[in-house]
Amino acid sequence: MRTARRSGDKPANPVPVSPAGKAHGKTPSGTITEQLPVAEAFETKDRKSKKPDKGPAAGKAADESAKPGAGGRAFWSGSITIGLVNVPVRLQSMVKDTSFSFRLLHRTDGQPLRYDRVCSREGRVIPWTETVKGYEIRKGEFLVFEPDELKAVMPESDRKIRISKFVHYLSLDPMYFENSYVLVPDRSEEAYNLLLTAISEMNLAATGTITLRTKEHPVVVHAYRGGLVLTTLRYVDEVTPPDAMEAFAGLPVPKETELALAKRIIAELTGDFSLSDFHDRYREAIEALIEKKLAGEKIVYEEPHPEEAKELMQALKETLATLSAK
Amino acid sequence: MRDLTRVRLTNLDKVMYPAGHVTKSEVITYYVRMAPRLLPFVRDRPLTMHRYPDGVGGEAFYEKDAPQGTPEYVDIFTRYSETADRDIHFVLCNNLDTLVWLANLGSLELHVTLSTTEDYESPDLLLFDIDPEPPLAFDDVIDVAHVVREHLEDAGFVPYVKTSGKKGLHIVIPLVAGYRFAEVRDFAHTVGKEIAKDTLHVVAEFPHSRDPGTIFIDYLQNAHGKTMAAPYSLRATPGATVSAPVRWDQLKRGVRAEDFNIRTILQGNEDPWRGMFENRQKIR
Repeated sequence: MRTARRSGDKPANPVPVSPAGKAHGKTPSGTITEQLPVAEAFETKDRKSKKPDKGPAAGKAADESAKPGAGGRAFWSGSITIGLVNVPVRLQSMVKDTSFSFRLLHRTDGQPLRYDRVCSREGRVIPWTETVKGYEIRKGEFLVFEPDELKAVMPESDRKIRISKFVHYLSLDPMYFENSYVLVPDRSEEAYNLLLTAISEMNLAATGTITLRTKEHPVVVHAYRGGLVLTTLRYVDEVTPPDAMEAFAGLPVPKETELALAKRIIAELTGDFSLSDFHDRYREAIEALIEKKLAGEKIVYEEPHPEEAKELMQALKETLATLSAK
Repeated sequence: MRDLTRVRLTNLDKVMYPAGHVTKSEVITYYVRMAPRLLPFVRDRPLTMHRYPDGVGGEAFYEKDAPQGTPEYVDIFTRYSETADRDIHFVLCNNLDTLVWLANLGSLELHVTLSTTEDYESPDLLLFDIDPEPPLAFDDVIDVAHVVREHLEDAGFVPYVKTSGKKGLHIVIPLVAGYRFAEVRDFAHTVGKEIAKDTLHVVAEFPHSRDPGTIFIDYLQNAHGKTMAAPYSLRATPGATVSAPVRWDQLKRGVRAEDFNIRTILQGNEDPWRGMFENRQKIR
């Protein structure tokens, strides 16, 4: 039996953990509805992680994630609940989004562009107080939902990871795995290590549910590198169902000789897989580009000072006229 | 703004002269308004920037080499410098955008060489740099400047004068092409010596140049690579003074260098140095 670990100790194999604010690779779909179509299109195109917008509802969701853990990186604390047993834990993100994001600027003056909520009919910017959520049932036809109506059905975040069943980890289909988080013992290391040791020795994983922000997720908790890791799972209807793959049934059967040749080639290329051999070459190229730019010209934002610059603009106009008259 | 200048203006609100609360916006505006007078003079003259990124009173530095990120509209003159043992990429303030860019960089003072890139080894300006040592003051410099003027006029020259923006006066003669710095320096030295002979306080030799109660007619500025504050250049003084060209008849006892500053200079509308380069002179 392994000995209990003090909370200050690091796991044997430290894993990269991103700061709390960036905990999610994706924001639960609930907050995406806060985004304007234009913003969504841009962000998706740029493969940028969706940040919660600054709307009132999104702000509430952000509060929950901003709560700092003891290490400053945990963004959720609660407990694993198995029947009447509670194991207090904190959640730390394991997945870091390293994709690049650029700001979109106005080419002529280098000013960052911002997104506004513009009414598609009036063409003016609408303050948050004048907004309401709508669900598009047909093109241009919406069902309107008041905040209270949505609040009523919103899952309650009771800070519990409810475990309902223990299963063999390998029986789970990785296609459904979404995001992984390290579970860190919160105060009670004994309870944590008891659970960890028990499922490790039985080669089992715990399945259940967690509510993160405003979405309930199925989860699996399993032993990984000396600790517990929680992985959120996609819902069945979020993944292409197996019957959509029927088209593959009619594929022609390969010839024996060809198959033998293919297998030989594959056998020669068989070896150990090392993920660290792979690099995001686009990101590295961009980083190198940024270094170069930093060494050379910097793009500096111009602060708009309409009043301050009025004199200057007038002087420029007059002088340009004088100089061109010469 | 972008249709008026290619310069990316930054921190326009920054106070460059705390005493008079002169902002960078005001500094740039000043240089823009002075451009029609300043640009023809500084054209093709390698520049030394006196940069005050945090305004007067803050850290300052001289810069001869074009800084990193110098935009493409800035003309550059590359020259090997023996003292630095490397190529120096001098900025040439040849257009309005460059002038605005310089002002935006906090280059409050613009100093230019006495020769142009057309013939860099050959000065086209002769400079008498006249500075007082306390207790003598600006009034005494004015007296001496008039002596120098009379002396030069008697010899058939048309000298031009400007305040240095600090303690003294600069007397300038535009020259025809082809002189060497040594010739020009000798000429200025000779003039200084003759005046020193029978003018109170005036010294013409370097060892005495800092003696109290003297006025030195400095001929040594007429040398390769030396610079002079450009006419209409601001100076980094508390009062935001300008190195201001003046008419000789304006230059009377009682006039103070501080009278010519960023906020007053525009009022005298005629450029006293107008037509200077149509009046190039021979020193022998």
